[in-house]
Amino acid sequence: MPKVKETEILIVGGGPAGLSAASAAANLGASVLVLERDGKPGGQLIKQTHKFFGSKKQYAGDRGYQIGDLLIEQCGNNPNVEVWTDTTALGIYEDGVVTAEGQAKHLKINPKKIIVATGASEKMIAFPNNDLPGIYGAGAVQTLMNVHGIVPGKRVLMIGAGNIGLIVSYQLMQAGVEIAAIIEAAPTIGGYLVHASKIQRAGVPILTSHTITEAYGDESVAGAIICKLDESWQPVSGSEQDLKVDVICLAVGLSPLTELCFQADCQMKYVSELSGHVPVRNEYLETTRPGLYVAGDVSGVEEASSAMVEGRLAGISAACSLGYGEDIAPKLQAEALAELSELRAGPAGQKTLRGIMNLMDKGGAVC
Amino acid sequence: MLNKTGIPTAEDVKKVSPSEDRLKKGPVAIIECFQEIPCNPCTEACKQGAIQPMEDINNLPKLDFDKCNGCGVCLSRCPGLAIFIVDASYSDTEAVVRIPFEYLPVPQVSDKVVGLSRAGEELGVFEVIKVQSGGQKNKTYTLWLVVPNDLAMDVRSIRLGGVRHAN
Amino acid sequence: MQTKETIVCRCEDITLEEIKSLIDQGYRTIDEIKRVIRAGMGPCQGRTCRMLIAQELAKYYGIPVGEVLMPTFRPTVRPVKLGTFAGGE
Ligand SMILES: Cc1cc2nc3c(=O)[nH]c(=O)nc-3n(C[C@H](O)[C@H](O)[C@H](O)COP(=O)(O)OP(=O)(O)OC[C@H]3O[C@@H](n4cnc5c(N)ncnc54)[C@H](O)[C@@H]3O)c2cc1C
Ligand code: SF4
Ligand code: SF4
Repeated sequence: MPKVKETEILIVGGGPAGLSAASAAANLGASVLVLERDGKPGGQLIKQTHKFFGSKKQYAGDRGYQIGDLLIEQCGNNPNVEVWTDTTALGIYEDGVVTAEGQAKHLKINPKKIIVATGASEKMIAFPNNDLPGIYGAGAVQTLMNVHGIVPGKRVLMIGAGNIGLIVSYQLMQAGVEIAAIIEAAPTIGGYLVHASKIQRAGVPILTSHTITEAYGDESVAGAIICKLDESWQPVSGSEQDLKVDVICLAVGLSPLTELCFQADCQMKYVSELSGHVPVRNEYLETTRPGLYVAGDVSGVEEASSAMVEGRLAGISAACSLGYGEDIAPKLQAEALAELSELRAGPAGQKTLRGIMNLMDKGGAVC
Repeated sequence: MLNKTGIPTAEDVKKVSPSEDRLKKGPVAIIECFQEIPCNPCTEACKQGAIQPMEDINNLPKLDFDKCNGCGVCLSRCPGLAIFIVDASYSDTEAVVRIPFEYLPVPQVSDKVVGLSRAGEELGVFEVIKVQSGGQKNKTYTLWLVVPNDLAMDVRSIRLGGVRHAN
Repeated sequence: MQTKETIVCRCEDITLEEIKSLIDQGYRTIDEIKRVIRAGMGPCQGRTCRMLIAQELAKYYGIPVGEVLMPTFRPTVRPVKLGTFAGGE
């Protein structure tokens, strides 16, 4: 039997949500253990070389990886935080024990509270020959380029004009790769228009109401057939175009990575505004399984800015429920909630707000 | 149009353009940020108080053209790369357009580059007269391009090595 | 040209045709489909195919995707070598 590691708060996932949760809880005095699947914490931030939006409080204007380094440093400076990298949480059991795999060992952890901050995974779409080599998810392309310094090919068709499709296209262009086009099935661009504008003016066309009908090639991708869609999303006959590309990159959305929440028997709900199945939770991010919190993309796909604030909120709430910082926690929680509503006040945040309304249970106060 | 292609329309641009008179007076920022998003570094960047603080972080930036001295600090801070500086007082026939730039290779002073419109269409070949580095942390370069007067409100990008159109 | 395949589950190499034919045969849940052809039992444990299969079921039964019954999630979230269990200290 493996030895059981005891900790007060276990955080699964070392992205912006998990790291912010860790330092917030540790600052109040709780001892925290963070499990991170990758070799380095930071989550999606590690791969983001562009400057982030938001306000100063969320480090706006800094580049994603710089924000990641800052969060890692904050945790590193806090003696209450322990981070285990290369460690994947595998299961949450009925008795509250969490199992994990790290350094080829099977580990058991017995925490008092759990914060799940596992982020999201990429969606895929089905089209003929979608298994040809040369077809990548946008996340894989970013990892290749920005972590390993390898470009995926010479000429890319990007599928999806949400922020990820736009930003990964921009990063490919910065790496000297040609983008043949960005296509988007919806009639309008989903990502921020300032990103779209900067790509358009560099000479890359963004084609809305367009989809891929098939990829072709013998050994690997040699090209793609795209076509126009009419108002009812049906292909317009005769609108086919043949694009000679050696890479097709899919950026068709993310879904919350909620397997651990399903396993832990949290009440789950499919909310399209939050991009998939998410756990029902209260205002302070506690799920229907007492003592289990969620924060970041796992609780609804959004942004790093909101993920950091959610992380902080979950961290404070978990620490407070263990008796730490009871005097200041309500004030800190109120601040975090105010920041979240500020971030979500605009048109872009309306969708998230609708999703949360749809989702939320009437959860009680946590303190 | 903008939300279908990413190309702002003439009306969009008009809304953020200063008067001819103001343009003639000297460098001024053109903030081409047309969508309400949670973002405000431009307001913090401007030390002249030309960009009004936002009540709600989702507000569009509001610029007082008369307070703006065209220093360009906001240009290099904007994460959307949506701010340009236009100096129509450069000469009788020419203006200087400053654009943010984050590709490689970075053009050198006196290089000739192909200027592009908001739609990525070629507008001519223009000289780079100055290249400002954003520094270690910021990393965004500012390119100063000399363009004919009548293109000052059109040139917004340059052709990158090897990047072509779809068909 | 070789026959074009549309893959739904990359890990176990299962095509859209195969999924559609199972649904036609009356298999009604993701779990049932998983048991018959192992869709979702490879290294990614269904992250790629789960919602694609859900969409096909939703289309067939004319219900929203959100109403498709999700499979049972059991530890572990990814396949682990038996040696890891044995070798744990
Ligand atoms: C291309 C791109 C551009 C973006 N641009 C912006 C932007 O400009 N501004 C902005 O605000 N946001 C942006 N985002 C969004 C932002 O990156 C995410 O919203 C944010 O990272 C979510 O944080 P998170 O901590 O919830 O998840 P992640 O960052 O995904 O972190 C989750 C972490 O959990 C780990 N993990 C998962 N499962 C396990 C497990 N079982 N055990 C252990 N560890 C696990 C993962 O390895 C990962 O490190 C962008 C995203 C992408 C992909
Ligand atoms: S150019 Fe300078 S003065 Fe003008 S708005 Fe920008 S920062 Fe302010
Ligand atoms: S910093 Fe740039 S993107 Fe952000 S609000 Fe200001 S102009 Fe718009």
